[in-house]
Amino acid sequence: MLLDRYIPPPLKEDSDFFIRKTRLSQLSVNIIGYTSLIDLPRTLELLHKQAESGTVADLNAEAFMESFGKPVKAPDESTIMTTVTRGDILLYFSEHDAFISVTPVPKVLTRSIEAPTTENVLRGAISSLVEDIETNIGMIKKHAATQQLRVKSYSIGDREGKRLSLLYREDKLDLALLRAITGKIESRLDWDVKNLQQLSDMLGFSRWSFVTRFNSTELPQEAERGLSQGKAILLLDRMPFALVVPSLLWDLFAVDNDHNFPVLLMYLVRLLRIVGVLTNMIVPGLYVALVSVNPDVLRIELALSIARSRVDVPYPAIVETLLLLIILELILEASIRLPKSIGPTLTMVGGIILGQAVVSAKLVSNLLIIILAATTISSSTVVGFQNSISIRVFKYLILLLSAFYGVLGLLSGLVIICAYLASITSFGIPYLHFYKPKGDSRG
Amino acid sequence: MDKTLQTVSLYLLSHMGLIFFLYPTDIIESVNIGHWLPILTGFAIHLAVIAMYMKGMSYFPRMDLVDGLRTAGNAVAIVLLLPVAAYLVMICVITIRAYSEVVTIVFLSSTPLWAIMALLLSISTYVAMLGIEAIFRTALLLFVLFIPLTVFILSYAFQNVDWLYALPVMDTHTATFAFVQERSFLLSLFAFSGGFLFLGFVQPHFRYKSRSILWSSLILLPLFLLSVYLPVLTFGQNTAEKFQFPFIMTVDTISIDWLMFDRISMFFLLSMITFVILFLATVMWKLIRIIRFKWNAKPAVLIPALSVALFVTCMNIPDWKHVSDLLWWNTFFRIYVMVIIPAATIVIGVRYRKRRV
Repeated sequence: MLLDRYIPPPLKEDSDFFIRKTRLSQLSVNIIGYTSLIDLPRTLELLHKQAESGTVADLNAEAFMESFGKPVKAPDESTIMTTVTRGDILLYFSEHDAFISVTPVPKVLTRSIEAPTTENVLRGAISSLVEDIETNIGMIKKHAATQQLRVKSYSIGDREGKRLSLLYREDKLDLALLRAITGKIESRLDWDVKNLQQLSDMLGFSRWSFVTRFNSTELPQEAERGLSQGKAILLLDRMPFALVVPSLLWDLFAVDNDHNFPVLLMYLVRLLRIVGVLTNMIVPGLYVALVSVNPDVLRIELALSIARSRVDVPYPAIVETLLLLIILELILEASIRLPKSIGPTLTMVGGIILGQAVVSAKLVSNLLIIILAATTISSSTVVGFQNSISIRVFKYLILLLSAFYGVLGLLSGLVIICAYLASITSFGIPYLHFYKPKGDSRG
Repeated sequence: MDKTLQTVSLYLLSHMGLIFFLYPTDIIESVNIGHWLPILTGFAIHLAVIAMYMKGMSYFPRMDLVDGLRTAGNAVAIVLLLPVAAYLVMICVITIRAYSEVVTIVFLSSTPLWAIMALLLSISTYVAMLGIEAIFRTALLLFVLFIPLTVFILSYAFQNVDWLYALPVMDTHTATFAFVQERSFLLSLFAFSGGFLFLGFVQPHFRYKSRSILWSSLILLPLFLLSVYLPVLTFGQNTAEKFQFPFIMTVDTISIDWLMFDRISMFFLLSMITFVILFLATVMWKLIRIIRFKWNAKPAVLIPALSVALFVTCMNIPDWKHVSDLLWWNTFFRIYVMVIIPAATIVIGVRYRKRRV
């Protein structure tokens, strides 16, 4: 068979690989593809319908063949391999020895559009992005219905082609920023990018950063907000997130849905988030500072009652706090790992530990439980899970400094964190910018 | 690009850090009655100096002080800048040493001095290494975080005030301006002269409106007045004179019933310390800029080396008396920086402009 010499041997060994003979009009055709990626019966049906509408008799053979799809010029093993792995099918017309690549009816391998799973929306559009990049671009286009929206797509990766799309608004995005981003991507098109770490390497961000440089969001609405603020959006195939670049400090506190509340309430809610972040960073440090280094700052009644509750606790406040904080972090991490059906068990067990038991066992003081509960709750008020992790980490710096230097350590920890945040720039845009207006791309 | 807001916050913060510790002591010592006159005199000098300095710097568009002075020849620049460098080094040493001392006296009596100096120095080294733009943004962030707290505590500090202590407003001794020659008045200029030099160092990085700086300096005036008058109005001149840090004592007297904290003074003074850390970072950055004029090494190497040297120097100062001696010797440099440098920028600037036209 003529076809045989084109087909790469490894392909033949795949169990889901098929070669189906059929006739379209008067020509005999071999259809090649993966059953796992395409819906074969419906594709065949479509092909036959198409063959009926324009027969070989009406057109010449070449035009007839091209009516199905793109002819593959100079077919060799590798082009056939890539076309088939991409999920397309090839038609081989044996009489003419020609390959046509056709986009088939695909198997539905993507979940349908659903409500977001990591971001809750109280008021506003609920649909969230999915794994399929085309659907995502479509959803964002629906939200940002403007002629100014531009989409650039790249196929990245050396061995395996992965799609990366860049969306931006022509009228909002600063040209220098656009050039910086596209320049970085285009110079590294052969990099394999499978996760956000690799993507961030590709864009030239430092690897050792405590703050994510992408603000990832599941909501097309948030992506649209980024676009209209003059930011760029990156979409990676099979990644149900829109990555907003550059990410700014204010993104920790503001979401677009806030605008669906009355203005005053919106500001109050945002203030609440700021308070949450500060509480989370400061409170454990403050406890350690006040208990172990500067008890004189406290009102005498309070100082005494704390001292009384710590009478039986055999170790210093910093150990006590670290102990419980680590248990808390473990609970947080475990509740992500566990299947939903076992989750409640964890809550219950955690509740027992962090409830009265650990106090009655004289392992920690009463007050610490309150402090840590407040800390944990407030760590989640920040927008975006990736940001809440950064803040959880910052807390430990302050905690350690407070243990050494008391309130002085607490405040100097804050200075360090402020300076660190102030030093971060992405593509020349400081992290502390409120939002990025056009034409002001540098600090 | 225009960074007036950041410049103003750094300007205000670095002065606020300096005002509340040593300044009240010196002013209260310099006169017995009519403290407002030395304060206003100092402030007027400060205004004149920064106005002159900014005017002089405006002759050198997009150049900093070092490059500006260089237009008159390398030799002139070196001669003019050497005392500035010496002044900045001394300021670093004095500030680190004095503030660590204050911290041990007031809050951390059991922590060794070197540990506190190491903390102050390492943080300001870190901040200085991040570069001037990061320093400016940090200033803005600290401003937003700490100023509400500061204002809150300052407004509560009027709790124990007895307004009669403000009288008499003036006496013949003060009116003769005899205090100008007093050692303590000259020392008090420390608070005015420390923070303004950076205004001449930032132009290559960004612009600011000098008018806004002058207006914002008016915010400092009430702070200067408060720092002296709060202790005087609370304790009276005779008692206030006895304290080493009268303002800290005043804030210590505040008691707020509904707050869980007894000594909220600690939060106030420690936020001042954070401003001082920022100030130190700026000074170190300026110093590096001057050093790199002749000796082009990487800041990532220079700044840590500098801070180690500073640390060793600070460790070798045995006690508070030596600190005050150092502060006194520094006066000559201080007057040099306040008089000669602004004047030099104007003279060289005018010549530079003539040559270019």
